[in-house]
Amino acid sequence: MAGLVRVGFSLTRNAIFSTSIRSIATTAQLNLKAIREQTEGSTLIIDGVTVPSPRTELLIRAEPPVQDTALSTSEKPPCYMCALGLDVKHTDVLILSQFVRTDGCMLPRRITGLCRRQQKKMGKLVAMAQKAGLMMNLTPANCKKDPTKRRDYKKFNTYFDERTIFMKKIPKPVDRFKR
Amino acid sequence: MSAAKRVQQWATFARTWHIFDCKWQDPYDSANVIKKYLMGLHKPIYHPMNDSGDVVVCINSKEIALRGDEWRKRAYFHHTGYPGGASWTLAWELHNKDPTLIIKKAVYRSMKGNLQRRHTMQRLFIYPGEEVPHDVMQNVTNQIRQLRFVPTRLDHIPEEVTKTYPKVMDFPEDYVLK
Repeated sequence: MAGLVRVGFSLTRNAIFSTSIRSIATTAQLNLKAIREQTEGSTLIIDGVTVPSPRTELLIRAEPPVQDTALSTSEKPPCYMCALGLDVKHTDVLILSQFVRTDGCMLPRRITGLCRRQQKKMGKLVAMAQKAGLMMNLTPANCKKDPTKRRDYKKFNTYFDERTIFMKKIPKPVDRFKR
Repeated sequence: MSAAKRVQQWATFARTWHIFDCKWQDPYDSANVIKKYLMGLHKPIYHPMNDSGDVVVCINSKEIALRGDEWRKRAYFHHTGYPGGASWTLAWELHNKDPTLIIKKAVYRSMKGNLQRRHTMQRLFIYPGEEVPHDVMQNVTNQIRQLRFVPTRLDHIPEEVTKTYPKVMDFPEDYVLK
């Protein structure tokens, strides 16, 4: 019944709103939204509720640099991760988990608000942490989350070198004991 | 020789037993450290002709960590001596067969190949897990510091810590929470 109601709801909504006049708002549609579904008898009510972000109070930002006249106008300001200048490792799961959806996928750049380079770096670091089995509760469902349950070479502990992220070609590790 | 001097003499030449936890450690990096203790290179009285090496007990050798794709790229060579007797075993295959062999071979290869090497290797004990026989464990008096820090899994961190940990990323204004 609920599914039928939902289909009917989406059909009517599409019929009404898919015309050329669509979502004209005089005020900004702001704030984080949570979608809530309620069933009252035979009707299903779906509404987007504005929710305050739980992260705003704990947010850390770099202090804005002292304004120079000529330089600052031409150059783009650095993104917040570049400005912070943190040396993030793939073992810093508490930082990396902030860039990840609840199903374990990386958030896109329009949501994270990073620069291209930082987005690439964070994506790789998240993949490293997931491969090493450090973010088992935030790993896509189609992956083998627990390394001990994986096959062959994947089941043993692996660590990664963060310097390899932006290397074009990863050099072979120098084996000093080799004869 | 006075009593105090005699005790100092004993302490200088006594063998110390060290323990090393291999959990999440790179065996090839830690071999360089273990080697120093085995050969006695950390002692001021070191000389290649005196017998001043210590004993090292390695535990958790099953949980060593290799870098990047080394588990499937590093190969161990063996030749039986007969024609066609060459064989290459990958690191993960060797670790499946015997979880103590990788660290043993790493320490063995880190030392110079002389007559002393096999005797020095006799002083290295490797155990795949935490269990160490009591007669070995009762001698241990020192712990060697780990080279790499052991990472914490996110699901092992309590939820209060994850919630109150300083945040870097905030959601944009019209993001739909999932």
